[in-house]
Amino acid sequence: MKPPAFLLLILLLGLPGCAAQQPSLPELIAEAGEERGCASVFPQGRWEFVHTIEFSMADGSGATVLGVTSLAGEEIACALMTVEGFTLFEAVYREKGGLEVRRAVPPFDKPAFAAGLMDDVRTIFRAPSFATVQYGRVAGNIPTCRYTGAEGRITDILPAMDGCWQIRTYGADQALSRSVTGRSCRKEGESLIPEYLELKGFDPTNYTLKMTLIHVENII
Amino acid sequence: MKQLLLLAVFSFFVAIPAARAGVESKGVPGPQAQPVQLRSVQADFLQEKHLKILARPIISTGSFTFQAPQSLRWEYRTPIRSILLMHGGKVRKFVERDGVLAEDKGMRLDAMQVVLAEISNWLDGRFTDNAMFTVSFPKKQTILLTPKEPGLAALISSIELKLGEQAGLLDKVIIFEGPDASTSLTFSNRIINKEIPAAVFTNK
Repeated sequence: MKPPAFLLLILLLGLPGCAAQQPSLPELIAEAGEERGCASVFPQGRWEFVHTIEFSMADGSGATVLGVTSLAGEEIACALMTVEGFTLFEAVYREKGGLEVRRAVPPFDKPAFAAGLMDDVRTIFRAPSFATVQYGRVAGNIPTCRYTGAEGRITDILPAMDGCWQIRTYGADQALSRSVTGRSCRKEGESLIPEYLELKGFDPTNYTLKMTLIHVENII
Repeated sequence: MKQLLLLAVFSFFVAIPAARAGVESKGVPGPQAQPVQLRSVQADFLQEKHLKILARPIISTGSFTFQAPQSLRWEYRTPIRSILLMHGGKVRKFVERDGVLAEDKGMRLDAMQVVLAEISNWLDGRFTDNAMFTVSFPKKQTILLTPKEPGLAALISSIELKLGEQAGLLDKVIIFEGPDASTSLTFSNRIINKEIPAAVFTNK
């Protein structure tokens, strides 16, 4: 019997899974104009989020933990705790200083885990860095902002999906690597904060993080 | 795995009655209250998680039920519903997933058995005979547990048990993970020595 922490490690370290055919980058019908609310997807300023996080693998196994995310300027801090409050992992990422792991209980002490977790957190909470940006519509009529990074990674922001938003990231091969679906968004200042988030990681692993908001605070 | 053992320890500390806690103290003499023959304890708890990155602590609420010799129901109501059940040598844990309580089958039950043995020691007041922790009494009504092994100390620096006025009951437990991380549990609505049906420890 494997502990859930081990299962999480497996899925986040990228061991081969039974990935289904991944969706590929949809065609963007470009339109002239300004960004259409995509900035509101990413909270500006200092914020603190506490979520319950249910992670699961394709075979249905998984576990539930508490997650803390703190945004302050160029700094993102995050922590994972057991339901009982035991800190499993705590790290800070600075745009110019890189990743600092403050606490990592085995098996969460592998560098690949820290990097993968922070990549998920940055995908959800930070606007992508980009070399070019296009505005338009995908799949018929869905407003989209498409950011292309210098390394070829593409991020589509869909700021108006079912009353909330979606983020989809694609690798340089244009295969979908992550999707983040926000639901039950509420307006907090200029930001749209989802009550519920679902992140799916695709090939080479299939995992899902279901994040339910417990607490959010814009720290003035 | 040691960390899983610790998680279990963490859960179980709140069920430690302080009976005969004054034996063989180090430093300030330990509590001398007349021990109560403890058969069962029920209580609510308020848990506060403090972390450097948190502007304010995460609050969790729940309750526990303990019955000698080794039956425990440890239940969180908020923010995530979860239940840990121990009875007849079996340990099960349920955590809310997709709105329903699902069994967490990833638990290391062997580690849980080790913890049960520790609990038995504490129930008998053998705080000084703890294999994992050095025990001292820095203040009256306070027991300080310090991990003996460096590996354990890297995860938990110390645990402070604050005893209540009523012999055999804990008021508060503080688990220190490091200088900027701790978890406190404050107990209320305690009921002692009430007969508890076995189903409480077997049914979610």
